Amino acid sequence: MNPGMPNLTDLKIVLPELVWCGFGVFIMVLQPFLKNRHFFTFLGLVGAMGGAIFSIVSAWNYGPGFSGLILSDGFSFFFHLLLGTVAFLVVLASESYLEVENLDSPEFLALVLFATAGMGVLASAQELLTAFIGLEMSSISSYILAGYRRDALKSNESALKYFLLGSFATAFFLFGIALFYGATGTTKFTAADFAHSQVGFLKLGLAMILIGLGFKVAVAPFQVWTPDVYEGAPTPVTALFSAGPKAAAFALLLRIFATVPAATHYWFWAFWVLAALTMFLGNLGALVQTNVKRMLAYSSISHAGYILVGFAAVTSMAAEKPSAAVSAYAAILFYLLGYALVKVGAFTIVSQLGGAAEKRISLDDYAGLGQRQPWVAAALSVFLLSLLGLPVTAGFFGKFYVFAAAIHSNLIWLVVLAAVNSTIGVYYYLRLIVIMYMHEPKPEAAVAPVRFPLTARIVLLVAVAGTIYFGVAPTRVLNFLNQPTLIGSLK
Amino acid sequence: MMLPGLLTSLILIPTVGAFALLVLRGDDHKFIKGLALGVSLFEFGFSLLLLRKMDFSAAGYQLEENFHWIASPPIRYHLGVDGLSVFLVILTTFLTAISVIASWNNVHERIKEFFVTLLLLEVGIVGVFLSLDLFLFFLFWEVMLIPMAFLIGIWGHGRKIYAAVKFVLYTMAGSILMLVGIIWLYNVTGSFDLPQIQQALQANPGLLGSTVEITHRNEGLLFLAFFIAFAIKVPLFPMHTWLPDAHVEAPTAGSVILAGVLLKMGTYGMMRFCLPLFPHASKVAAPYVAVFAIIGIIYGALVALVQPNLKKLVAYSSVSHLGFVVLGIFTFGVIGMQGAIYQMLAHGISTGALFLLVGMLYDRRHTFEISEYGGLATPMPKLSAFFLFVALSSLGLPILNGFVGEYLILLGTYSVSWKWATWAALGVILSACYLLWSYQRVFFGEVTQEKNKSLPDASARERGILFAMAVVTLWMGVGSAYLTHRTANATDTIRQQMVRPGDVAPQEASKPADNSGVKISLERSGTR
Amino acid sequence: MQTPILDLLWIIPALPLLGAAINGLFGKGLPNKIVNTVALGATGLSFLAALEAVREFIYIRNQEFFRKEFFDWIVAGSFRAGFDLQMDQLTVVMVLVVTGVGFLIHIYSTGYMAHEGGYYRFFSYLNLFMFFMLILVLGANYVVLFVGWEGVGLASYLLIGFYFLRKSASDAGKKAFIVNRIGDFGFMLGMFLLFRTFHTLDFHELFAKAEPWAREGWGVFGTLTVASLLLFMGACGKSAQLPLYVWLPDAMEGPTPVSALIHAATMVTAGVYVVARSSILFTHSETAMVVVAIVGCATAFFAATIGLVQTDIKRVLAYSTVSQLGYMFLGCGVGAFGAGIFHLMTHAFFKALLFLAAGSVIHAMGGEQDMRHMGGLSKKIKVTYWTMLTATLAIAGFPPLAGFFSKDQILGAAYQIPGGHPLYVVGLLTALLTSFYMFRLIFLTFHGKQRYDEHHVHVHESPGNMLGPLVVLAVLSVIGGWMAAPSFWSGPDHFANFLAPVFSSAHETEGALSEAAAHQLELILAGVAVAAALIGFFTAFWLYLRQSGKPEQIAKSLKGVYTTLYNKYYVDEVYGAVIVKPLLALSTNVLWKVVDVQMIDGTVNGIADGATATGDVTRRTQSGNTRSYAVWVVVGALTVLIIIFWPAIKALAGGAQ
Repeated sequence: MNPGMPNLTDLKIVLPELVWCGFGVFIMVLQPFLKNRHFFTFLGLVGAMGGAIFSIVSAWNYGPGFSGLILSDGFSFFFHLLLGTVAFLVVLASESYLEVENLDSPEFLALVLFATAGMGVLASAQELLTAFIGLEMSSISSYILAGYRRDALKSNESALKYFLLGSFATAFFLFGIALFYGATGTTKFTAADFAHSQVGFLKLGLAMILIGLGFKVAVAPFQVWTPDVYEGAPTPVTALFSAGPKAAAFALLLRIFATVPAATHYWFWAFWVLAALTMFLGNLGALVQTNVKRMLAYSSISHAGYILVGFAAVTSMAAEKPSAAVSAYAAILFYLLGYALVKVGAFTIVSQLGGAAEKRISLDDYAGLGQRQPWVAAALSVFLLSLLGLPVTAGFFGKFYVFAAAIHSNLIWLVVLAAVNSTIGVYYYLRLIVIMYMHEPKPEAAVAPVRFPLTARIVLLVAVAGTIYFGVAPTRVLNFLNQPTLIGSLK
Repeated sequence: MMLPGLLTSLILIPTVGAFALLVLRGDDHKFIKGLALGVSLFEFGFSLLLLRKMDFSAAGYQLEENFHWIASPPIRYHLGVDGLSVFLVILTTFLTAISVIASWNNVHERIKEFFVTLLLLEVGIVGVFLSLDLFLFFLFWEVMLIPMAFLIGIWGHGRKIYAAVKFVLYTMAGSILMLVGIIWLYNVTGSFDLPQIQQALQANPGLLGSTVEITHRNEGLLFLAFFIAFAIKVPLFPMHTWLPDAHVEAPTAGSVILAGVLLKMGTYGMMRFCLPLFPHASKVAAPYVAVFAIIGIIYGALVALVQPNLKKLVAYSSVSHLGFVVLGIFTFGVIGMQGAIYQMLAHGISTGALFLLVGMLYDRRHTFEISEYGGLATPMPKLSAFFLFVALSSLGLPILNGFVGEYLILLGTYSVSWKWATWAALGVILSACYLLWSYQRVFFGEVTQEKNKSLPDASARERGILFAMAVVTLWMGVGSAYLTHRTANATDTIRQQMVRPGDVAPQEASKPADNSGVKISLERSGTR
Repeated sequence: MQTPILDLLWIIPALPLLGAAINGLFGKGLPNKIVNTVALGATGLSFLAALEAVREFIYIRNQEFFRKEFFDWIVAGSFRAGFDLQMDQLTVVMVLVVTGVGFLIHIYSTGYMAHEGGYYRFFSYLNLFMFFMLILVLGANYVVLFVGWEGVGLASYLLIGFYFLRKSASDAGKKAFIVNRIGDFGFMLGMFLLFRTFHTLDFHELFAKAEPWAREGWGVFGTLTVASLLLFMGACGKSAQLPLYVWLPDAMEGPTPVSALIHAATMVTAGVYVVARSSILFTHSETAMVVVAIVGCATAFFAATIGLVQTDIKRVLAYSTVSQLGYMFLGCGVGAFGAGIFHLMTHAFFKALLFLAAGSVIHAMGGEQDMRHMGGLSKKIKVTYWTMLTATLAIAGFPPLAGFFSKDQILGAAYQIPGGHPLYVVGLLTALLTSFYMFRLIFLTFHGKQRYDEHHVHVHESPGNMLGPLVVLAVLSVIGGWMAAPSFWSGPDHFANFLAPVFSSAHETEGALSEAAAHQLELILAGVAVAAALIGFFTAFWLYLRQSGKPEQIAKSLKGVYTTLYNKYYVDEVYGAVIVKPLLALSTNVLWKVVDVQMIDGTVNGIADGATATGDVTRRTQSGNTRSYAVWVVVGALTVLIIIFWPAIKALAGGAQ
């Protein structure tokens, strides 16, 4: 068979990506002829969901595609579902936002879909260049999305910074690929024969890749861009950033460090240090923010830290026996799931309350929300409590499993650090709740309740329901995530 | 679909009640209060069923409900009661009902939310006392924080927000470490189920480490992880500074629940987890814990003595009284531990009543400053009578409930170390000092302030709840055996659980001593 | 054998409790008549019940020890404190004194309090006191005894503070309670020690176990010594001995009947009762006995000296009470427990009488208590005068009145124990002083020219329901001692013999001499005592009737001594300065303001602030400047590389060295 020509299975495997891209293109094509926002939104929704749904097709035929460039397995299935859902929610949330800010929706939607497709590739890539393509697909769309509010200075700044630093990081990533290739003679990190490869270069390469991806997931000290970009970008986009690319990049990272036998246990130390650093910088930074968007930005940094605790666990276990680390993978994935839901929900609320030109995003604007809009306040509280890690929320279980994994590999002290950080976290999450319920609104801030459009309500409903559901009945997801063959390439 | 068991119902009733309140009409305050009262009373009545359903002569947990919840890690929905927890549960439901009545007229804003919060708080606390799965326990333990914080932060006074946040942060700081400990235990024993963990550790202490040294070190760390969380809750000196703030700013109902049962969650945790799971560490820690407890007893009393703020005074007195409880627990002796259990309940009633009374004064004058009062016995004789009664029970007058606990604890302590007992007994003197002195300044003498002249005496509603409290106080003081007989088995069980291979089993059983000796001496005639 | 009341022994204390409850809960609405009926009925019935119980004890059980368990009160592990009551010879004496004198004083009060507010409150408290006092004397173990012990403290707190509008009154009440608590501190520790040693707190069982114990000689601080001393600490609090006597004089703030009942006849003697009850423990420890004797003796003398110069009629009596209590302890301390209890009983009669009479005087003077504004009352209030005179003769120890016999026994016993002579001398001196200040009181009050203004106070004799009790008590103070009289013509001492079983082991300290010699000695000592009393009488007579104005001169010439005595040796002031003030200062300025607020909270808040500060720093690194961000990324990259290549780097470094 001609290896150049993709056969049907290959196509089935990339079906989600195809759907996403397809709808993206379709929307672009239609744009000149149609002006009806709602229709486009509808298309966007269908596209996003479609991708998610069709990932089932690729799940039907687990296995490598495109002669092993990508792999369809439980892992990629999970991420496709997640990314699709995130995209779907983001599209929903953005609908009214774009209207208020009166920005054209078609490009926006198309970009979201393209980005999602890129992330999908990241999640299933088995080969570094493929991964790179995915990365770039998502990144470039993200850059544009970040600057989507052309007339807003902050938005442009955000886009520019994201672009500059992003490309800087991409350079690291590429360099890493080159080194990897040099060391192993292949870019398929599954097929590489590590026994006969220059470990020094290999390590260097992996380090570079780690740095490149570390940037994407906002790991300290590569997190510096996050607050500015998150703050500047249109809030729905921020929601996307904080959920989608992060998840995807973590997915790739996980694949690499799951399959590449970690050269030495110093990987583990790297993750240990990065985790601690990230948690502290994130939480301490968030402590002093007066702007909700920025605060959430920092909080997402800190959560990257918690996830890295999981990575430390993975690497420390994968060192001797990869399959032992399954529970740790599961922990990380579950964490990402809960985290993504919460962040999308929270940012949706922020974007809705922000109003035109995102004026109302300082903490004080939330004073008295508890009385003004009890349901919204309740929803936001649920999200915050989940971020804070209080029981009966997905966030709590995520944290719980990560801690469990870490303790399982005897990282007691790292967990203690994480615990300390959670306590710091309590303070600023609680502060927002306190403000919402216990502070009297400032006279000038006392505004009429913001009407939430149906779309936003749906987003909140889904997010809250999901947060609670995964907090109370996580069993099924966990059973799925705990299967040892989750990562197909795992030996 | 089977009906929910008794214990589940105890958790469900207030939950359902809370949601009912939430969705039903929020405008009609009468209706809301009525519903809240109905629910809390029903819950109380329901909890009394436990006494009939339980067999106190049998050891171990009863009325257990044990279902799978989450497959992996194996988290179970496991409830159960024993002599230790049952009375704490009843105390909770009782005090909740009381505080609903107590909040009848002094909550003015967001009335619906207030009672919802109160009921949710009840859910959390009852859950804590009933859970036999560490994860479930932790869940309730954490969930309970938020309603309490809201009670303080929304319906409190003064620096309420500071107090609320301080309360949550203090507790969280401890409890997250406890979570680490819980997971560690799971990692070691592969279970979250308390009885299973208990068996595992008791059968094979080596689980905790390869060598004895490591075992002991790890046991020590685990002990700390749990103990600190509990010590903060109790609160044990020097982790007590959240308490005065929380109490002073909290609304009456909040203070009653806080002092009445919330603090007991700490001491309960020590008895339920620290001692049985980590006996060696407990024994090693005992001297230090005892010292802190004693410092707390004396320190709390001395600081209470000089408080110009009546409510703060009561708050510090709690620090002192809870010190007794901790001391009793860490004697590991039957008498001391029995005393500790009893003292938990007694303190719940008497201090709860004190806070009710202070709240009633506040409703009338909107201040806690003692200097603002004086001579109140003239305008409000009934209230002052109740206050005196409660104060006497709190300072440990025999035949009222305060005495039995303190006496047993000191008695038990004395047989461990006469020094501890002697120091702790100083608290008995001091409690008389601060209570009588403050009582004199508030109620005796001529009425100094014009506005105090015309203060109304206790209303029928207030008399009702105070009378209820007084009756319980007296009953506990006279019929203490009723309680101690029923808690005896729990105490024995805990002491048995502290035994590890190689130790000698605790000699003294906590069954009532047969006084055959007395009988003999009776035959000998008096005239020698 | 049928012993109905003994089997329902609880009925004796229960009746007053019932009365207290009725009057306390519903008394406000009831007319005084009904309040009276309830209160008197309760006490009277309980007196009758007591009589019947005693009858059954003596005649039906012919004095065989009786003990009954009614219900388990406190049970924990091996510890059991049942609500058990007992009846033995000692209890008989106490229960009769309490109910009898108590009943009389109840009657008296109906007259004395007739015009007071809170009438029902008063009687409810009074009944409550009766309840607790009876529990105290009937209790069959230390814990039940302690119930009464604390309970009478409460009752006295309530009654002293009866006029709670007066700050001095509520202060006194508080002081009484707290000082007693200090004693109870010791008492409780004593109980704990006893339980730890004997695993029981039941009198009968405990003493049975303790009897075979080895005696502990002088300076040996064995279990029994320590336990006895701790118990004695409690007794010092309750019975106002040095150094804890300070509350009793202030307690005179209460209504006079209260002073008579609680602070003279019954409650304050509880300490003596406990020591006597625990005689077996005390007699096992020489040290304890000596301490008791010395403390008692010292208190007796010390209080008497203060009594010399007081001008408030009730305060004189108060110090006299302290002094007499000292006598009782002296008696116990020298091993004459019987004598101690004997004096307890007689003292109950004449001291109650003195107080009631004083009350009658005050009543007559319209509330005046200062003897300097009295004088010449003997004509106007005859009954009061004669009764009070009887009591004075009794307390001064003139034969054949009650006080003579009891005091004489104590002094005799003190004289006879080895090394007891100093005690005897001081005791004798005290007797002299006693007779002096008592007659001083009589002369100042009833004789000489009147020093008050006719127009303001119109003196009037008290009503019958007040005088009745006076007369009864007067009779008792005369004949109260005759049970011991026969011993003077070498007959039996009925009282001592009656109590003998309880104190069996206590008498070994006596009887060193032969019968005849002992009898001989007894008469001599009695003579000396009477002489002392006479001296006291004549001095008083000379100073206050013949040479009026002389006392002032003496006071002037001995200014220092006088003021010191007048101000009670400044003991209260010293306590205030040495204990109370420093404690409050410490609590406020160190514990609360520094430890709590600054140290602990300071640390907590400090941590919070620290976190925020660090947060600020991290925020400042967010300069917003892209170039600096790039630098960050590079720095980060280096960090990662360093970590990953650490072994290599280490190797290099090693190579470099």
